[in-house]
This record gives sequence, structure tokens and C-alpha cells, in this order.
Amino acid sequence: MTWREFRALTLREIRHWLRIPTAIISSFMMPFFYLLLFGQAFNLGKFLPSQGGATNPLVLAAFSGAPSYYSYFSVGMVGFVVLFSSLFAGANVIFDRRLGYVKKVAVAPVGRTLILGSRLVASVLRGILLGAVVFLVALAFARIPGLDGLTVTATVTPLGLLEIFLAMVFLSAGFTSVFLAIGFLLEQVDSYFAIINLINLPVLFSSDALAPQSVMPGWLRTISNGNPVTLAVDVMRENLFPSASYYAYGPLVYLGILFAVAVALTALSVALTRQALAPR
Amino acid sequence: MSSESGIIVTRDLEKVYPGNVRAVEGISFEVRPGEIFGFLGPNGAGKSTTIGILTTMLRPTGGEAWVDGLSVGEDPEGIRRRIGLVFQESTADDELTGRENLELSAALYGVSPAETRTRIAELLPQLSLEGAADRMVKTYSGGMRRRLELAAGIIHKPRILFLDEPTLGLDPQGRTGIGEAIRDLRHRFGVTVFITTHYLDEADALCDRIAIIDHGKIQALGTPSELKDRIGGDVLTLVPQDGSRDLTEVLAKVPGVLSVRRHETGYRVKAAKGEALVPTLVQTCFSQGVPLATVALKKPSLDEVFLEFTGRAYREEEGPSATDAALRMNQFRGRRR
Repeated sequence: MTWREFRALTLREIRHWLRIPTAIISSFMMPFFYLLLFGQAFNLGKFLPSQGGATNPLVLAAFSGAPSYYSYFSVGMVGFVVLFSSLFAGANVIFDRRLGYVKKVAVAPVGRTLILGSRLVASVLRGILLGAVVFLVALAFARIPGLDGLTVTATVTPLGLLEIFLAMVFLSAGFTSVFLAIGFLLEQVDSYFAIINLINLPVLFSSDALAPQSVMPGWLRTISNGNPVTLAVDVMRENLFPSASYYAYGPLVYLGILFAVAVALTALSVALTRQALAPR
Repeated sequence: MSSESGIIVTRDLEKVYPGNVRAVEGISFEVRPGEIFGFLGPNGAGKSTTIGILTTMLRPTGGEAWVDGLSVGEDPEGIRRRIGLVFQESTADDELTGRENLELSAALYGVSPAETRTRIAELLPQLSLEGAADRMVKTYSGGMRRRLELAAGIIHKPRILFLDEPTLGLDPQGRTGIGEAIRDLRHRFGVTVFITTHYLDEADALCDRIAIIDHGKIQALGTPSELKDRIGGDVLTLVPQDGSRDLTEVLAKVPGVLSVRRHETGYRVKAAKGEALVPTLVQTCFSQGVPLATVALKKPSLDEVFLEFTGRAYREEEGPSATDAALRMNQFRGRRR
């Protein structure tokens, strides 16, 4: 019974974003322009002298084992798009509330956890899909003359791919659940977007998605170390580049922390959502 | 627990919102199984609050209520399984087809896939939606949307169907269609219907019994004809061409006349069956040499019932209304598309 309800609710979310693809496209636009414009110009590696055919060891040192700034940064963009797409999950709750859908579901004999859980799963799926698209676009750019792109320099194992996948799932689940809960608690779209703006860029800039920790001041590095985007992106980098010596821990440690963060945030969000949907 | 035979029972039900807004002030009533029970009152009278409590969306601040024997405070989950609900605002999902909407509702209420198919096949023709079932709801008219929501509200065969202002914002044709659909559903499934409305004619035509609610209190309760009977019959207003002679005595002797009052321009005659009396009264006056200028017959309507019990004329539109909210929502929908 529970499975059937869960499936129906999740299917509804997925149908919605398939039928109104503007939301998906718009959450892809920002990372896409970062990849196409920002990353192309902001190629920090160009400041380091090239050494014929071989990659300058200074580049490797600066970008934690990645063969170029672009390779380093585009992996960060995968983390960014996952974060970015999770931000919209809560806005949809607010729209759905205005359209009466939230109320309709709230008076149905459906577990409150399912109401949050179905949206969570649909939104994580969307985040992973967008992350994969960004990843593939970055890889494709490497083959287009005149564009910088992502070059994978390590041998990627199936286990490594699984680690990357899970890192993105945990990253997405943690943020999505919080934003869903905020969506259930707030009534105004305006205040929701104010909160998003307060979170979006600070989380991006305080992670090592765009810039390596080696160039950060000490305080920022400390914040960055606890930023889930940093953790998720580093799991990717450790698997895509020979980076082991640049990171304090292996990917499994970061993955473990991400998992714990995702579980904690989801539990908190379930409690908040229950409260938001309780009779007043 | 619950007393007597009511499928819905409330006792001194009260809801005070923060800021001491007293929406419902100690109302008690009982709804009998299988009837269409109407809550009639102007906007802000406390109708939606009452339905909110009975459907477990709101918590009462005082008194008690039972729905199908279950206490709203103790077993909201159980109540949710047994009721169907059609909200004041449209809750059908624009981006899904009519059929997908029904399937979603069925799944939320634990109806099996096989049963869902049967029910949908049954409900679509009943609500004249066969042709539109596989179209996106955003292409539906207001009346079609409402009928779809009715189907969704009843797809799990609830014991009680709650309808909060089901015809709000619909054109007269749409309103008539919904009224017929509700009667038909009750007839076929024996479901008890609890309906709120601020349309007098709708309450009159649709409901077996009506509670008139105003300022959070029930002012009168009974069948539409009982309520109208309390007014005391039809009212005929006779205006003679020349009012100098007093015909009060003569008119009072006409069989069927209940009472006669003379006022400045003419006579106010009360009678059980007004229309049957018009020829006799015209004849009587004429034969007395006092031809009439005008005759007006007024059937007792709920308007007058409302006036009688609340001391003021009925107003269908007033205050920060649900209608406004519905309009705002339509604008919002339009903008989203």
C-alpha cells in the first residue's frame, strides 16, 4: 500500500517536470554558462608557464592533481548543478500549495514521510540527471577545438563511478530535504527566494568547486572543509584524477560524512514537514 | 463515544483563531446517514472553518466532533480514510490528464489498480467526462474541473463526501451541472453529503436539510420547506386603484387567507397557496367596487428565512471573500501557464 502511494506521488512530480521542462532547462542554464563562458576565460592555469607536452607540475599542485583548471572547475560545476537544482524543490512546494495540491495530499490518509519522501526522490533524480548532463557537456567540450574541457586522467573503476553517484545523491538529498521543509513551512514565494539567494552563492563560493583550497585564506578553508559541496566534489576529483596525495582522506571518508549529513538533514526535514502539515 | 444516530455529530464545537477571531462559536448539530446536509451562510460565517475541523485540517479550540463515529481529535487518520473532500479552490492538477488525476487520488486512498480502473470507467460517464479523460486538465472548463474533482472525491467510495462551496466561481450552467452530479452521486452510492454554500437557491434545490449559519452560530436548522413554513406562507401584496375604502374584513373572510394587514398603499395577505388565491382576490375586490392596480405574489424563499432568523437581509457577496481567493487563484493559474 505504502509503495503504491509513494509511487503515485513520485510519478506525479516526475510528470510535472517532464511536462514543464522550463524549470529543468533554467536550472541547467546557470552551470552551462559557467562551463561555456566563465570557465573558458577564468582559466587560472594559463598563468603558469607551459612545459612542452607534459603538464606543468605546478598546475597539478595548484589544482589538486587535475590536469588543468578547467578540468578541476568543471567537476565543481557538477556539484554546483546538483546543489542548484535542489534549491528549486521547495519553490515547487509553494506553487503546489497555491494550487491546492499540498492541501489535497495533506488530507489524504498518506504518511507524512511519504509526502516529503516522494518529492525528495523525484528531486534527487532530477539533480543527478542534471549533474550527469553537466559532466557530459564538460567532457564534450574537451573535444571541441577552441574550447577547454574536462580531461579525466585517472583510470575510473566501476566502484569509483558508484562513489561519485552516491556522493551526488547524498549531496542532493541533504540540500533537497532542507529546501522541501522550508517550502512546506513558508507561504510566500518571495521569502523563499530570499532564502535561496542567501544560501546559493555563499555555499558555492565557500566550497572548493570553483577555486582550490590552496588559494583560500585559512578561515575560508576551514568553512570549505565542512561544506557538503566540497566533500561531494572531492569524492569526484579523487576518482577522476590521480589526486590521492592532495587530499587528507580517501573518498570513502568524505562519502561517509556526506551520508551522515544527508541522513541528519533528512530527519530534521521530516520533523519540520510533519509540523508544517499538522492540523492548526 | 459518539452519540445517537448521526454520521456527523458536533457538540459545542468552537474555533477561535489567534487574535481572538471567533470563527465558530459553540455549534451543535447532527447529520443523518445518506442525507445531503447544507451549511448555508454568507462569507465569513464559519462554514469553511467547520468543514476544516470535520475533515481534520483544523483543530477545534473547544467542543467535540465525531465523523462516522470517530473523534476528530483522537483519530484524524481514520477519518481521512472514510471521507472524500472537494475543496473550495480547484485542486485538480493542471499538468496531468483527467484520468491521471483520478488515478493519483485513487492511489492516495489505497484503492487497488483493478478497482481504480473499474471506478474510473464508472465515474467518467456519470460526470460527463468520458471525452475529456485523456486531455490535460489545463484545457478543462471550470465546470469540468469541478466534476473531475467530484469524481476524485468519491473514487474511494467514502462514507461522507464534504463539498466546500462546490459551485463557487462557476457560471449558472456549470452550477446546475454540479448540482445534478451531486444528487446523482448520492442516489447511486448512498454517500452522505455535507455541503457548504452561500447560494440560497442552491441550498434550497439540493439539500435535504439546511443549517443557516451566521457569525459562527447556527441560526436555524431544518428542511428547506420547514424553514420556509416558519415564515408562515406566501405573501400577496394587493394595491387597489383607489385605496379609500377598507377591505380588510372582506378579504379576511376569503377561504384560504391566513391573515390580512392593511398598510399605506394596500394590503399584505398571507396564504398557504398564494397563486390559487389570486383570481378570487381580484374578483372579490372588483365585486366590492375596488378594482386592483397591481397584485404581487411572493413565495417564501430562503432569503426571507435568512432575514427572519438573522435579522438582516441575505448578502451573497461580502467581506474578504472566498470568491476573491478563487479569482486570485485563477489569475495565478493563468500566469503560470
